[in-house]
Amino acid sequence: MARRIATTHPTRFTGAIGVALLSALILCGPARAQSAQPSPLSKTCQGGAPALGAQSPLPNVAAALAQRKRLRILAMGAAPGHVTARGGGYTELIEAMLENALKGTDVIMINRGVSGELAAAAAVRMKNEVALGEPDLVLWQVGTNDALAYVAAADFASVVKDQIDWLKRHKVDVVLVGLQFAPQMLRDAHYIEIRDTLRRITAQENVIVIRFFEAMQIVEHASREGALPVADEFERSEAGYDCLAQYVARAITLGVFAKSMPRPAPPAK
Amino acid sequence: MPRPANAVDFWRGFALITIFIDHVPGLFYAHYTLINFSIADAADLFVFLAGWSLRLMADGGGRSMPTRDVMLRLFGRALELYAAQVLITMLAIAMLALTAIELANPLLLQWHNAAAVFDDPVPTHIGLAVLTHQLGYFDVLPLYVVLMLMAPFFALIDRTAQAFVLPASLALYICVLAFRLTLPTWPVSGTWFFNPLAWQILFVLGFTLARADYGAGAFVRRHIVALRVLALPVVIVGVLVPLFGWWPDPTKVPEPKLFFIIDKTYVTPIRLIQFLSLIAVASLAFRYIRWAAEAPYLRYAIAPLVGMFAMLGRNSLYVFCIGSLLSLSGQIVRFTYRGSVTVDTAVVISGIVIMAFTAWLAESRQRTRPASPAQSA
Repeated sequence: MARRIATTHPTRFTGAIGVALLSALILCGPARAQSAQPSPLSKTCQGGAPALGAQSPLPNVAAALAQRKRLRILAMGAAPGHVTARGGGYTELIEAMLENALKGTDVIMINRGVSGELAAAAAVRMKNEVALGEPDLVLWQVGTNDALAYVAAADFASVVKDQIDWLKRHKVDVVLVGLQFAPQMLRDAHYIEIRDTLRRITAQENVIVIRFFEAMQIVEHASREGALPVADEFERSEAGYDCLAQYVARAITLGVFAKSMPRPAPPAK
Repeated sequence: MPRPANAVDFWRGFALITIFIDHVPGLFYAHYTLINFSIADAADLFVFLAGWSLRLMADGGGRSMPTRDVMLRLFGRALELYAAQVLITMLAIAMLALTAIELANPLLLQWHNAAAVFDDPVPTHIGLAVLTHQLGYFDVLPLYVVLMLMAPFFALIDRTAQAFVLPASLALYICVLAFRLTLPTWPVSGTWFFNPLAWQILFVLGFTLARADYGAGAFVRRHIVALRVLALPVVIVGVLVPLFGWWPDPTKVPEPKLFFIIDKTYVTPIRLIQFLSLIAVASLAFRYIRWAAEAPYLRYAIAPLVGMFAMLGRNSLYVFCIGSLLSLSGQIVRFTYRGSVTVDTAVVISGIVIMAFTAWLAESRQRTRPASPAQSA
């Protein structure tokens, strides 16, 4: 496995994505919300774009923006590894993207990720964090640790479903971030089972799930096909987190302002 | 010669084994540890007993020791803990890297907050050195380091104005809860899972309650029977809460919320009271455990266990470090061989045997040395 001498500077790849993303998100801003047709995501990231229901699944976020022009997001789950130039992880990237997209909105990101934590433990802690931080939205990266720890899919489903219901009762929206990807995990039946369980729950509960697994799978595929100047595992991982940040920012803006946005356009040839 | 088994060493050994098991998420046996039957868990016990041991160090282990020497000794201990944290963190990173290479699976490089180490080592190594970047399940020792850095100040107050030790700690604790003071993580933004500014209250409670002839420690010993009667209902409720998921809704409590919710990061008052109740009741247990260890027939089973637990407790730093690495090994083994009761049993048994061997090795090494002041804590 090649090892990159890591840099704290954004890569060319990240920069290109950032430009494309910001232009896309600006189109989703409040002033043009109802008529906005969001720009396509960068080619690399398109396949993993989040699925949105016909109705806005983020009513509390929409209300917060309308009333206060302030959005409080609680980030839970495994702490992501990618560190940006300013320090901090993908949550800071999301914060910056949202503030650019939602002009005049103060986005406050409360990062309370604990690495290695199972969904059951995170669920108990999340209730306290919701009480203390009073977020409008919870961004929950969930599933990877449970899959690696071989937690039974039924137990996992019960925890996640109960937690989503609890959040809904407390008028807090939720966006789930799904499992991380490695090609080897495609052969792991339990890993795939947890991923599919998460998909099923989110469909039943009508909540947004960011398909991180697919996003990184696409980056991996593009890299292997030579479509991307991506050299090794770490850069692929970094690209995956960049896509993840794009998806989250996009999901939030679309979830708030577009009641029936079409799926993103197919990748540009 | 190592000291004979006592309650502090025994319970510390118990806490070390429990932490080892709790730190292998998904483990079958993790469903039967203290955390499943109590609001407080083994981490609370470990920190409280660390404070208890601080009393022995601060008092000079029965010898009259100048204040300056005590300060240096405590600061030296903090450095020793820091060195241990740096060492086990580097070993854990190497274990993750080796496993990722052997299994050709880069996902393992993302595990337990390790991704930042591999992906962005420049800022992350600074974070590792200053303890603002902690791997998952390697966050207890950084707490202990900070507590030990605070220890000289508490020991100094204890020597100069002993009545103010507990009030000073309590005042800090109240400020932390009222203003939600905590320590940040960096470069990955967040806060410490164990907030040392709050957890110092448990540490100082251990320190003050360990003193038998003065203050809170003397009061507790005088009224222990009444306190146990008062504590018993709290312990029972503490069992029912996790068992039946009766966690109160934290959004419904009044402000300042941290005074009323049950939270581990800030070791909030309800958790603290439940823990103190638990030790008030459980302090009775060692008497019966020792009786069982000397009883006919029973002693063949109980005495070696008591001896082993106490031996782990006497060598807690070595055992804790090995236990942390064994927990990570256990996770890797479970991942590699698909977690099952058989695999989990092998993980637990081999882990405890290796922890016991480590303690035995440490004591063997001490036995071969010329006589030196007994190490505690």
